[in-house]
Amino acid sequence: MKPIYFVFLWLLVTAGITGFILMSDAPPGAAGLPHESIPLVNVGGDGAARLETIGRAPFYFQISTIFLGVSLLYMGVADHRRDTRFRLLIAGGTAFALFVWYKLYTGYEAYLATGETDIVFGFPVPTAWMLGGVWGSFVIFDLIFVIFFRDYFWPKEDEAAFEALVAEMKAKNSAGSA
Amino acid sequence: MEAMRESIILGSVLVYLLMCIGVGLWAMRRTKSAGDFFVAGRGLGPIIISMAVFSSTLSGFGFVGGPGLVYATGMTSIWMAVCSALGYATGFYLISKRIRMIAEVRDTMSLPDVVFARYGSETARLLTAGTILLGVLGYLATQILAMALVLQTLFAGTDVFADISLFSCVVISTLVLVFYCVTGGIIASVYTDLVQGIVMIISGALVVITAANVFDGGLAEVSTILLAQGGEDIMPFGTLGTMAALTWFFLFGLGLAGQPHLVTKMMMNRRISDNRIILPITILGYVVAALLWISVGIVMRALVLGDVAMPLTAADQAAPAFLTSYAHPLLAGVVFAGLFAAIMSTADSFLNIGAAAIIHDIPKALRGRSLDNELFWARIATVVLAAIAASFALYSFYENGELVALLGAFGWGTFAAALVPVVMIGLNWKGATPRAAIAAISASLLINFTVQLLQIKVPYGISAGFLAMLTSMILFIGISLLERERKLPRDIDRIMEL
Repeated sequence: MKPIYFVFLWLLVTAGITGFILMSDAPPGAAGLPHESIPLVNVGGDGAARLETIGRAPFYFQISTIFLGVSLLYMGVADHRRDTRFRLLIAGGTAFALFVWYKLYTGYEAYLATGETDIVFGFPVPTAWMLGGVWGSFVIFDLIFVIFFRDYFWPKEDEAAFEALVAEMKAKNSAGSA
Repeated sequence: MEAMRESIILGSVLVYLLMCIGVGLWAMRRTKSAGDFFVAGRGLGPIIISMAVFSSTLSGFGFVGGPGLVYATGMTSIWMAVCSALGYATGFYLISKRIRMIAEVRDTMSLPDVVFARYGSETARLLTAGTILLGVLGYLATQILAMALVLQTLFAGTDVFADISLFSCVVISTLVLVFYCVTGGIIASVYTDLVQGIVMIISGALVVITAANVFDGGLAEVSTILLAQGGEDIMPFGTLGTMAALTWFFLFGLGLAGQPHLVTKMMMNRRISDNRIILPITILGYVVAALLWISVGIVMRALVLGDVAMPLTAADQAAPAFLTSYAHPLLAGVVFAGLFAAIMSTADSFLNIGAAAIIHDIPKALRGRSLDNELFWARIATVVLAAIAASFALYSFYENGELVALLGAFGWGTFAAALVPVVMIGLNWKGATPRAAIAAISASLLINFTVQLLQIKVPYGISAGFLAMLTSMILFIGISLLERERKLPRDIDRIMEL
């Protein structure tokens, strides 16, 4: 199946989840509340209560976003260049991004349930997953670009084909102007 | 001591502004054609491009608005920064190579040129140029206003210029900006971006160290204070909640590749193979500079909620207040220069693409050719655009704050919604059609305009820009799938095979 169909599928899934959230009754303070005494400062209130009407929809929303992002990246490599190794690299990166997201979200859910969390690298555990993990999980795709640049993104043959195209266009243009 | 502190800070900023003027004069000698003015003759090296891309991405928002948002709402806005690895990946996987190839084969100077080359539609070119112009006016006005307000704050600490008016500060800021953009065009812009990027990286790295040492227990103590005060702010989604954070991740992560001031720079590199070096430097620079955004915001919030510091009178005061009270004067000077750098690096990019829209893209779309003597008119358009944006900035400050807010809405979200499907998907899928491109751009403008004009509040803090982007992407692919695939021009077809 062409990657554009996957992109379209994940867009529709994202739209479906968004539609469900928009149609649910938003509890008071769903997007924060003003602080009682300090102006301009917003507080979160009861985090668990804010999610009561939408349940785990945000969890699935982000899974859909990850798949959408990866499907788009997959489109960025020419069809005839996508070999098994490339598919495995993309699958591995996706699995890691999903793992990080799972650890982040379940860690947050555990905090909402118990009110307790450990502090790692200066931040609560779920936040540390967000700061290092979410960013880091997508850096994998950047590394794939850097390491396998000449295999998938700009092989020598493509470079030669492009140079030939440029030469052809120049010749055509100079013939046209002459 | 206080007077010396003010002198050091102001001195650093003035040295920086003089440097920008110097770069403008130097670049003027290298700017001989409209191609030099708009795309630097496609001859820039990887370090320059990297710094230009990341410093234009971060803008004044990362140094002022970002810490302010963290102060006000906790970690929610950090999702705009942690998505950068995905954002740059989409930009480099899907756009960098193809846009550079089209630029060379078709001799394009702007993003609307690329859109025309891909779709063969003057309407798509016109809509792209119109979207860019609307966004540019909003962005520029907010950047000029921010620059003037910071300059006024700095002058207020001196004896001689204590009573300087905002009008004078807007004039000074605009003149410096216009001078180096008019004289040196994009060459001056990207070379100042190089310095600006270095200043931003140094600022980010030093400020995070300072912030981590404000409390004896470091950032762990900051987290403990905030957890004791409710805790949602220091948890991953902040006080605005999960959907606000995640829709920002979507909009800023997948929308980065639709920002015209960034992707235009991908047309300027000397060799396509340089992208292999540009991507990692860009990401690294962005991450280090963005550390200021995170660290200053949460430390100021902990100081205020922990009753150590007085509440701020404006959330955007978070970074200036922190620097004034906790940073060494020399560091404060470097960071204030960094702040100017962040604002100016974005503003000059916008001036450049805005001028291209006025004198190159819109005339081409309407009458089939651009203006004669493009270089001359490009310089005139740059001055006019900056003057209009400065007027908007002053008008919004003194008369009507909604005008810039409205134009500002045509910023990141509108660019992402309008241009991501058309450029990012369209350059990688032959099935995309001109009608789909026109529908996607129109729908994104309509949604953003409607939400802003009617002041619709989307539940759960869901970003309106995200809704516009999701809709335009679905429309773009949906309409294209319903239509018959069109035959592409031979050169574009061959480029899309690579």
